[in-house]
Amino acid sequence: MSDFRPNVVAFVCNWCSYAGADHAGGQRLSYAPDVKLVRVMCSGRVDPQLVLQAFREGADGVMVLGCHPGDCHYRTGNVKAMRRFRILQRTLAQFGIDPARLRLDWVAAGEGERFQKLAGEMAGVVKALGPLVLAGKVERDVA
Amino acid sequence: MGTNKTAVFLCNCGPNIAECMDLDAIGAWAAGIEDVAAVFRHNLLCSPDGKAYFRQSLAQRQPENVVVAACSPKMHERTFQEPAEATGINMGRVQMANIREHCGWVTPDRAEATAKAKALVHAAICRCRRSEALTRRSTKVNTDVVVIGGGIAGIEAAMTAAKAGRRVTIVEKEIALGGRVIKTEELAPPMQCAPCPLAARLSALKETPNITVIANAEVTDVLGFFGNFTVRIRRRARAVKDNCIGCEICFEVCPVEVKTRFHLGPGTHKAIYTLFPGSVPAAAAIDKGACRHFTDGTCDACVKVCPLASIDFDEQDEQTEVQAGAIIVATGSADGDVSHLPELGWGVVDNVYTLPEFERIASSSGPYHGEIQLRDGRRPASVAVVHCAGSRRDDGIRYCSRVCCMAALKVGDLVRKKVPEAKVYNIHDTLVLGTPREALMHARQRCSGTSFLRCPDLTSIRVSRNGDRIRVVGEGLRPLDVDMVVLATGIKPPPAAGELAERLYVDLDQDGFFAPGDCLLHATSTSLDGIYVAGCAAAPSDVATAVTQGQAAAGDAVIRLAPGREIELEVMTCVIDEHRCAGCRLCISVCPYKAISFDRQKKVSVINEAVCRGCGTCAATCASGAAKAKHFTDGQIMAEIGGLMHV
Repeated sequence: MSDFRPNVVAFVCNWCSYAGADHAGGQRLSYAPDVKLVRVMCSGRVDPQLVLQAFREGADGVMVLGCHPGDCHYRTGNVKAMRRFRILQRTLAQFGIDPARLRLDWVAAGEGERFQKLAGEMAGVVKALGPLVLAGKVERDVA
Repeated sequence: MGTNKTAVFLCNCGPNIAECMDLDAIGAWAAGIEDVAAVFRHNLLCSPDGKAYFRQSLAQRQPENVVVAACSPKMHERTFQEPAEATGINMGRVQMANIREHCGWVTPDRAEATAKAKALVHAAICRCRRSEALTRRSTKVNTDVVVIGGGIAGIEAAMTAAKAGRRVTIVEKEIALGGRVIKTEELAPPMQCAPCPLAARLSALKETPNITVIANAEVTDVLGFFGNFTVRIRRRARAVKDNCIGCEICFEVCPVEVKTRFHLGPGTHKAIYTLFPGSVPAAAAIDKGACRHFTDGTCDACVKVCPLASIDFDEQDEQTEVQAGAIIVATGSADGDVSHLPELGWGVVDNVYTLPEFERIASSSGPYHGEIQLRDGRRPASVAVVHCAGSRRDDGIRYCSRVCCMAALKVGDLVRKKVPEAKVYNIHDTLVLGTPREALMHARQRCSGTSFLRCPDLTSIRVSRNGDRIRVVGEGLRPLDVDMVVLATGIKPPPAAGELAERLYVDLDQDGFFAPGDCLLHATSTSLDGIYVAGCAAAPSDVATAVTQGQAAAGDAVIRLAPGREIELEVMTCVIDEHRCAGCRLCISVCPYKAISFDRQKKVSVINEAVCRGCGTCAATCASGAAKAKHFTDGQIMAEIGGLMHV
């Protein structure tokens, strides 16, 4: 179990959190390589299906990162993301997926350190939870 | 699925990427992927040399898709999209893998960085399988300007833009332009007639063909962005047609007297009225709550006498739509309220007025024709002016409105002009004398008979009746008996500011004024590009500031909305497949730009691509998969996830 390297997919909005991750890079703030980013234009674009697809494809944890409330580049996309997130977390529990495997949070373009912190926390949480085993699916090989 | 037509470029970024990971290994691995036609490597792909190499390689190979594994797309996406397009590869088919900021720079272990970079490159290659072409679109800016609010700031903004040849629409909530200044007798410190220059301005405005005034109206909806706004306006019916010239013949026959809002208390007008003679627009309006035609249907006296057949009892509210490149908010302010502070005597003790009410009493066009008089017609022998009434306290206006001190100092001059022997007392704490001219005004008041009594706590002021006089007491003051009290009330945002800000999608500050976008460099900007603010809508301001801001806002808008200037429209908009749309309209409820409307005939939602900004919230919400976010389709994102997970 200690060799387990979690796969974490982070959906990041183009304007704040993607730029926040760029900022972390610019400052060489290292975090677990298990956290891999998928760019979307807005956290409001993150269809619950995409989150479920990430779990289905083998992600052990998923993050949705957007602009801080009130700072959304598209006015209110992050508010929509927030509303959807609450329902989605309850749905995940029904699928037997620990809701802690999904995290919604906010990272501003200048918050490289915050991005590093959130990525590290998520990698830690998912590592502690262990690999995601979906009912009806064979456990993925742990290399 | 695989097209075998993706070219992969790996950039060393000097030492920045090359030293963090094994690019040779990544290159060899990538070359073995089914879709990959060729792998190219360059030391600095964004350099002139690198870009030439990029272009030549693409021209030779003619791949369908390109993956650039380098730095952040936020930095160099355009750098590679443009040369790719020059070789005939659409920008939608260029995909970047950020192996620098998101990988090499944050992963100290070389082997781990190499593995992560492979995942990122693989995700980009997989995403390319679902790439679709994007179309660049641009439109010419609309050079017209909409001004909301027809006070002095709005009038100046409109005149400035009109002088540059632009078409301007002024939307005014009252039945005529003029705002606060038209109700003011004189301006301090110069003590100049306030309505005089404004009247000249109004008549010039009336003769300016490219200015349209929509009065008795409000903005109900705003769509779009800088250079391309659609403003929806509701014009309330006034029951009088636009051909009315304000001749006032009907005023004589109208049997109904109405308390006038314009004079803020004293004075009346008829149920058919204008705000003041010579107003712009000139047309009268009917107060439907008072007019007997509307209340009991017994009167049509005005119809009989009108020489122009202007009365139209059946007139309906009208909805219009105006296109514009910029919007200037000049909605002014509301008067500070003291009705919740009965200890100040307003509404309780006769002859206690707020400053705006006193302005009307002192006005030569006011209810008493400029005579300063008490309710019983006597002339006051003494007047007390209480500064900061209802201001700088938690149960009123918390801030200092900055301009009421000067307005309060005016009272002395206005009273003495009519009643030279009258005594005027200013009861104040801090005096805001912001400029040398204002300080001079204060000095002159002291020499010409106004007494200044300092009260360290103005919340201790109590105003009560004392026989036929008014007693003012307060901390540190000897009880003062006067004939009239003027409460120097402050300035607060107009009640509708919040609603308008929501319609415009701009921010208000903590006190409810329109917040400046960047107060130092763009003094008249708001939080949204293309929407400007001028005058008291932005903060309590004097007339000089309002004029300057109105002119500045219009000047900036006019310069940026140069005729013929193209603005690029969003490329990555959303579209709705009408064959899949179930007509549930959920997308309409979530669109932050109101870009989606419902086609009632086809029973499907339709996106206005001139307004859509491509956030993709509709695509995330659509249950039928009909809404698609271009360049971020479900298929593309899912392919990217798959690529990321299964290297």
